[in-house]
Amino acid sequence: MVLDKKDDRNVWEKIGDYFSANSIWMKWYCTGCGAIEMPPTMTSRFDMERLGMGPMATPRQADVLLITGYLSTKTLRRVIYSYEQMNSPRFIVAFGSCTINGGIYYDSYATIGRLDKYLPVDLYISGCMPRPETIMNGFSGLIEMIKKGEAKGWKHYQENYEWYKKNQLDSLGKIIIEDEFHE
Amino acid sequence: MNKIINEIKIALEPLKIETPALRQIAVVVKPDAIHNSLAYFRQKGFTQLSIVTCIDWIKESELELVYIVLSWTEGIYIQLRARIDREKPVMVTATDIFPGARYYEREVHEFFGVDFLGNEDAAKPLFLELWDDIPPLRKDFDPQAYSDSKFPMRERGNEFVSEFGGNK
Repeated sequence: MVLDKKDDRNVWEKIGDYFSANSIWMKWYCTGCGAIEMPPTMTSRFDMERLGMGPMATPRQADVLLITGYLSTKTLRRVIYSYEQMNSPRFIVAFGSCTINGGIYYDSYATIGRLDKYLPVDLYISGCMPRPETIMNGFSGLIEMIKKGEAKGWKHYQENYEWYKKNQLDSLGKIIIEDEFHE
Repeated sequence: MNKIINEIKIALEPLKIETPALRQIAVVVKPDAIHNSLAYFRQKGFTQLSIVTCIDWIKESELELVYIVLSWTEGIYIQLRARIDREKPVMVTATDIFPGARYYEREVHEFFGVDFLGNEDAAKPLFLELWDDIPPLRKDFDPQAYSDSKFPMRERGNEFVSEFGGNK
């Protein structure tokens, strides 16, 4: 399913997007190896703050969810929990080749193949793993997308909720987490 | 080193004993002797259980359990090995000697299907949630087939072209 990028916002949404694009909080959820590229991006050398972006601790306060690399089925359950807790507008940025088609884990029994079957991805950043320069470039691209109204993954998720839920259940069996820490 | 090897030979009567590398001793025993041997090593100062792991010998239809213990005073590793039946793999737990073996045994149970008698946690899932196939690190498990049946892949071609403005 391909996301369409037509701009169908009303004037208030345009104003809201203009302001939210300049102040993005990202939920930094480290799913895979790409998380190690985030500290240099956040700190003084590349300094994500000059794009107006900053890290945020909880999903309820965050705008962007980063999927930094491969996703095991166990992690995907937690990611779905986190994504559904976030307030809209919410965006997903996926890092590296693992989120596109499994990457080097294409035949793994524990990691998923393509991420956009389960969650709507607004932006892919290519690389294995992407360097901080690439990540900064991708984030400025995301800001442009939000300003133009192209980052509509969250609307797509609401409209096609059954399709996403069906894919999630087909691959995961059950999304409710029942491990020993949730008993 | 030689003194320890001689002591092990007298005390445990192993099937085989060798030194695969510097400051390492490999001891092969019968599966019934694992618990006694671990108690013996613990009492001799090998206080750290570094890992419990398993090897699948599918042609011989056997699973080989490997316990690695370390002595901090001698600086010697001992690999304790024993082969058990592959169809009904059962082993006595080591948690009463080394409490930390609890999680290693859970891992071995999850990835190889070995039952540990006396470890109540051993059957709980540790890494894999809702696993519905044979234990995944056994040699007759096919990860590619499992992955294809569960996790659909992107079809190359149409979608790839359309992102660059081509026809869908």
